Amino acid sequence: MAERELTYSASPHIKSPEKIPSAMRDVAIALIPVVLVALWFFRLYAVVNIAACVLAAIGSEYVMRKIMKRKPSIGDFSAIVTGVLVALLLPPTVPFWYAMIGTIIAVALVKELMGGLGYNIFNPALFGFVSLLIISRFWALANASYSLGSLNGVTSATPLTFIKAGVLNGIRPGYWSLFLAHAGGAMGEVSVIAVLLGGAYLLYKGHITWHIPTAIIVTVVVLSAILGQNPLYMMLAGGVMLGSFFMATDWVTSPDNKMAQLLYGAVIGVLIVVIRLYAAPTGAVAYSILIGNALVPVFNWAVVRKRFGEVKAVPVKETAD
Amino acid sequence: MELKTFRGGIHPPYNKEATAGKATEDISLPAEVIIPMQQHVGAPNQPLVRAGDRVEAGQKIGSTDAFISAPVHSSVTGTVKAVEDRKNFAGATVSCVVISVDPNQPVKFTEKRDVSGLSVEEIKNIAKEAGLVGLGGAAFPCSVKLSPPADKPIDTVIINGCECEPFLTCDHRLMLERPDDLIAGLKLMMKAVGASRGIIGVEANKMDAVEALTRKVANEQGIEIVVLEVKYPEGAEKMLIDAITGRRVPPGKLPSEVGVLVQNVQTAVALYDAASTGKPVIERVVTVTGPGVKTPRNVKVKVGTPISHVIEQCGGMVGNTGKVIMGGPMTGFAQKDLSASCQKGTSGILILTDEAVDNAAEEQCVGCGKCLDVCAMFLQPNAIVKFTKRGQWDKAEKMGAKDCFECGCCSYVCPASIQHVAYVRKSKAELAAAAKK
Repeated sequence: MAERELTYSASPHIKSPEKIPSAMRDVAIALIPVVLVALWFFRLYAVVNIAACVLAAIGSEYVMRKIMKRKPSIGDFSAIVTGVLVALLLPPTVPFWYAMIGTIIAVALVKELMGGLGYNIFNPALFGFVSLLIISRFWALANASYSLGSLNGVTSATPLTFIKAGVLNGIRPGYWSLFLAHAGGAMGEVSVIAVLLGGAYLLYKGHITWHIPTAIIVTVVVLSAILGQNPLYMMLAGGVMLGSFFMATDWVTSPDNKMAQLLYGAVIGVLIVVIRLYAAPTGAVAYSILIGNALVPVFNWAVVRKRFGEVKAVPVKETAD
Repeated sequence: MELKTFRGGIHPPYNKEATAGKATEDISLPAEVIIPMQQHVGAPNQPLVRAGDRVEAGQKIGSTDAFISAPVHSSVTGTVKAVEDRKNFAGATVSCVVISVDPNQPVKFTEKRDVSGLSVEEIKNIAKEAGLVGLGGAAFPCSVKLSPPADKPIDTVIINGCECEPFLTCDHRLMLERPDDLIAGLKLMMKAVGASRGIIGVEANKMDAVEALTRKVANEQGIEIVVLEVKYPEGAEKMLIDAITGRRVPPGKLPSEVGVLVQNVQTAVALYDAASTGKPVIERVVTVTGPGVKTPRNVKVKVGTPISHVIEQCGGMVGNTGKVIMGGPMTGFAQKDLSASCQKGTSGILILTDEAVDNAAEEQCVGCGKCLDVCAMFLQPNAIVKFTKRGQWDKAEKMGAKDCFECGCCSYVCPASIQHVAYVRKSKAELAAAAKK
């Protein structure tokens, strides 16, 4: 028996093959239906913006890691996912270089500057998107005329405008068209069913659980009904679905215990309805999730996990005699 | 049928096919055996022999007066070569009696006596004198478990036949090959603690054992076989009690708190052997398996047999050996070399090739929460790691470091390859050291 150097390490000695890169790759796979819908409706606009954002994400990650002397991490797919998400959060007609600025903010500042994947407090893609929303108030680039060909049958108004305006006549898109495909607003918000397909894949693979999406959606539906809004419309229009399944569930920026996740989802749901109704419908989901991200330490602190076999201490009854 | 189980846990690949169908076989004796004076949880034994002494198989060679302990016996007839410090399977330095084995071994412990007339005290004494410990791997002295506090009556004895560790099949074989002796051992335990109910819990991937045992207990009063879901760590004491009885042992407490005694299959058989033939714990069934061994087998091994000898008896190693593990893949100990010897608690020798070893480097925690989901004790493993890294032992304790029984589910599922168990051990050691001060 030849003496070889044996590997010596602590138990357990077998591991699940599921690692960060394979999980991130699954998130990328889960985005395929949404990306396909975007490509179908927006053609060259989608191709250019998604490609530009992915390149910006990979590039800025590489440069930042070089500067900060960390090993390159393109293998973990996380930059690619962030790039695709930023592109999907924006309307198709946004100039590609504008989308790239948002991506660079997301990857370089929100993720890498905070220390890299695992250290970031905010969801990078959402933060990048919201940064663009804010920048655009001062720098009206979003309206820069820019043409990559005609977009057939694309209404420019996002369905969200109808929430604030309260228009409930025939102009508003129907439930079925929102569910199947209604081009308007962001590229990733065209088809609810495409988002649900991706979400189902993530649930099936065990990367997300039902807790956060369900808490958000149920809260949105119930609260909008209470406030006299149309709950179904509130749920289907805009980014509630994309945000619930792909962004609020982000491992790094959501609570890790299930009870805290339910609380986090409920708070995001309340914020979505309130912001949509009383502030701005555009970006309401993004703002809500980012506020939820910031509150994660509070949720983790508020919800203490009850240990196996732990019983609440019963105060000893004092008898008179 | 709805199978009983606990909350949390994982479904790793079980890899039991290589040895599940192979009957237990004897192997040749080694030239020498190395018998550690401490093979149990508790106080170490003092050697009773010196170099040059003749010893017989079954002769007591180490003992102590401490209550939580178990004496050690020579597993062979031979001559004591040395009494010296050696490294055991866990890397700890332990006083060991090294015995050169006689080529001719007298046949012993074959005559059986009736055990039905034994009194409670006699059974407890037999367990103590036989050096019986939990043979599932934890090696807690059996006699201590058979003497629970008077204010905590035991009504149920559970025999753990889950064998939830992947790769291992020694308990499975024993249930198939010696069902009568297992049930006899269970009855002795029930009598010793005054329990009216006896349950043998078996995972659903061993239905042949379930059938064999069910036939045997058809006419037994108060003994039943319970089939459990195949899930790791189903065989962990607290999980098993919860799955079968619905009782949850509180943090920091023993099973006697909820009126239950749990013992492993081999422990029950060994108790019967000791009671019927007077044979102390000097041998056990060990599963030798894994992609790195030529002929995976279930073998009967004398306590003190060097691992190298056992592996040779299984055709030696094949391929690029990556890891040699004493015990199962989830909780076993990796070996630096093959010099350690098998002891009472050795359930398996697992040999992994390089390709089967996952050496992924640890990454930053990404907060996926999978470790919380699988933790059968409902702890927060990622938080324990965080506080251990910062040296905040009190906070690590608050997160449940002391409640962790190191099943390894968290490390198994971690996508960032974090070795939670290693951090927990660090915190436990620091907390224990602080408590001593």
